[in-house]
Amino acid sequence: MRKNPKSSSLFPIKIEELQQLMQNKFENNPDLTFSIYEQPKRRIAVFYIGYMVEAEMVENYLLRPLLNSSEKWSNKSIRNEIPLGNSDKKERLEEILQKILIGEVFIYVEGEDSAVSYLLAKKEKRNLAQAETESLVLGPKVAFTESIVTNMNIVRWSIRSTDLVLEKLIIGKRFPREVRLIYVNSIANDTDVNTMRQRLQELEVDQIEDSSVLMQYIEDSSTTIFPQFYGTELPDRFTYAIDKGKIGVMVENSPTAILAPTSFFSFFESTEDLYMRWNAGSFLRYLRFIAIIISILLTPAYVAATTFHYELIPTQELITIGESRSVVPFPPIIETLLLEFIIELLREAGARLPTKIGQTIGIVGGIVIGTAAVQAGITSNFLIILVALSALASFTIPNYLMSTSIRIIRFPMIILAGVLGMIGIMFGICFLIIHLLKLKSLGRPYLSPIYPFRWEDLNKALFRLPNAYQNKRFASYKPKDLIRYRKRKAVQKKDIDE
Amino acid sequence: MDINVKVKPNLRIRAFYLFFIISSIQLGVGIMGVPRLIFMESHQDAWISIIFAFFYMLIVVLAMLIILKQYDNADILGIQIDIFGKWVGKLLGTVYIIHFAITLLSVLVTYIEVVQVFIAPGISNFVMGLLLISLIVYSILGGLKIIVGVCFIFFLLSHWVLFLLIEPAYLMDLTHFQPAFQTSFTELLKGAKITSYTFIGFELLLLVYPFIQNKQKASMPVYIGIFWSSLIVLLVTVVSIGFFSPDQLERREWALLNMFKIQSLPFIERFDYIVVTEWMMVVLPNMILLMWGIIYGMKRLYKIKQRTSLYAVAFLLLIFCVFIDQHFLIQKVIDNIAKTSFWLVYVYPLLLLPIVLIKKRWKKRKGDGRHLSN
Repeated sequence: MRKNPKSSSLFPIKIEELQQLMQNKFENNPDLTFSIYEQPKRRIAVFYIGYMVEAEMVENYLLRPLLNSSEKWSNKSIRNEIPLGNSDKKERLEEILQKILIGEVFIYVEGEDSAVSYLLAKKEKRNLAQAETESLVLGPKVAFTESIVTNMNIVRWSIRSTDLVLEKLIIGKRFPREVRLIYVNSIANDTDVNTMRQRLQELEVDQIEDSSVLMQYIEDSSTTIFPQFYGTELPDRFTYAIDKGKIGVMVENSPTAILAPTSFFSFFESTEDLYMRWNAGSFLRYLRFIAIIISILLTPAYVAATTFHYELIPTQELITIGESRSVVPFPPIIETLLLEFIIELLREAGARLPTKIGQTIGIVGGIVIGTAAVQAGITSNFLIILVALSALASFTIPNYLMSTSIRIIRFPMIILAGVLGMIGIMFGICFLIIHLLKLKSLGRPYLSPIYPFRWEDLNKALFRLPNAYQNKRFASYKPKDLIRYRKRKAVQKKDIDE
Repeated sequence: MDINVKVKPNLRIRAFYLFFIISSIQLGVGIMGVPRLIFMESHQDAWISIIFAFFYMLIVVLAMLIILKQYDNADILGIQIDIFGKWVGKLLGTVYIIHFAITLLSVLVTYIEVVQVFIAPGISNFVMGLLLISLIVYSILGGLKIIVGVCFIFFLLSHWVLFLLIEPAYLMDLTHFQPAFQTSFTELLKGAKITSYTFIGFELLLLVYPFIQNKQKASMPVYIGIFWSSLIVLLVTVVSIGFFSPDQLERREWALLNMFKIQSLPFIERFDYIVVTEWMMVVLPNMILLMWGIIYGMKRLYKIKQRTSLYAVAFLLLIFCVFIDQHFLIQKVIDNIAKTSFWLVYVYPLLLLPIVLIKKRWKKRKGDGRHLSN
């Protein structure tokens, strides 16, 4: 009679029965190793999946002491004799099946009411490497890897405090995967932590392929083009945000960690702004803000001005533009869409091809197509400059998801400009702003601190001021502890020549 | 219908935003043409008329705030029902809704006309109406918090236009203001009265008030909002009178926009194009707030779902704005609004105030000492 494996213990069980059971479960998987060893009046079964465990460890530390042992086998004696620290007891079949798949080795002594297990998993992983998508000039270069253990190790080395919580959650109904909810207990806002935990726990899905997929499952709005959580592969950015009171989520087998709540403006700040001196940091941040405006509006403005509003352009420039456009047979909107399309093609091809070829194709393609297009009279010189500039501007955004969104927004803008002129562009801008106003990240407004307006947060979102003026955390997200850095008390204003 | 409004805490807004609500609803299409209108009434002393108007508005707003403070958390629709009974109260509430609707229509058609005159003669009323109304609907679907956010952000993004007044201000001819203080008092009052259409809209305070989180701080932002819009109208009027000669000014429908024509930058030659486009950010909050007033009022009075009435009103608005496309027709609409709304917005609160106060005292004397609203 089979017992219900979910509700009660599988053991005690005859070894033959256990073997039969396990082999039934792994019918089409020939990799289950199930060996039986005998002592007078005692039998034990050792079972594991061959390629999931460190074979050498199993032989040296598990089997050898076991077989050389003079004592009578029992759960107690096994645990005493085997020189490994991470032993555990398992009773239910479900549990055993789950754990054997992540590389645990089970020992069952016939007659005992539980099986002893040791985690001797062998995990293939790559070494730490430099960040690829978010590269920095200054500061730590290392990036997260696919191994969640390595990632947690890196984070722990940065935040050495018991305050750092790494809650473990298992997500995925069919193919479960480990997910960690990471925050600092004495800083992070409880409501936010609860919201995040609830969203993760309520997620019922077969499997999550990557953290960016998880991000889309648990985001506030799934229809918008803007990412509402920040995915980063930089440990320094991650720990910095955790220290500011944000909540992190890591997913097994994903090199990207999620950060929430995130405001629109934090997509344009890089940790490098912190490593620079404050004036350079602010300058770079503003450069990026100007870059998005250029990236969204430059080519639409060209289309609007050349299609409808010649009067807008001063005569001198109008002559230049007119000369360079004189041979072009298409209306400006077609011309611009064509060129933007070519640039996107080059970018996509460069991203898909192997690195070395990709660069060559990018340069050769850019130069050759650009020059040839102008000589063939398909586009004007002037437009090539504008399109290149707006493509360049979009790449200054530190977050890849956001920079892709910004690049895509340009296309409807160009069409609006080509159909309705400046009114169309303005319609687009108004729509974008209203849309951004409506978005939320983990229930917190996306455009904070601009709206809802918070004076004390403005300096953090829009500027990078000297540390003495930026000593507080982001108050809009209501962290438990607001002060991040205490000003030096000794600094007292002296009079001149005192 | 309840007299007091129950507002969930997460839907409330800080009193600080009242400034932006008041100033964005007051500054709209009216300001583009108002310098000429005031000038035609009170000539070189037009600026005195605006100061008159400002002080008069302060009195009206003060009356409104006193009325509202007599109740726990009521808006004008509830107060009217409390004072005049169910039928008359609902009728008066409907008058407010119609007032909002016609004002909204006038703003819409005026802006469409300005766009057609200045930058896009070919664009049809239907397309422009569709663009603007879709934006209105889209933002109202987010609720009052989003609407206030739109007001706030568009306020910040549109006020740079004021810097464009610096150049015309340098070109002012101060003799246009001389001889000062020559206009008769009645003419000054007429000038003040003609600003009524420009300054219209602050009666929305009577509807928004229950949504305010910290009501004890509500009055200051309102006063400053009134002050700010009066200041800007004053500024625009003074600069236009100084910049244009009297004959020129009387022939210019939208004097403000004409002043922007003269400036240019190395890469932009005609700033009036930019300003007229940018003006969308000025009129949108205006229209959104009015639209919210309409659909919220309908919900309060007739229990119509806001979503239903929003689509219905938007559709009607689109139909109307297609048919009102002649200048004289638009002017006629505006003149009529100015006339009727003057009584509703600028006189009615002052009449309502004593009635509310008397009723409160009467109820108190009646015995139970409980608050009027209970």
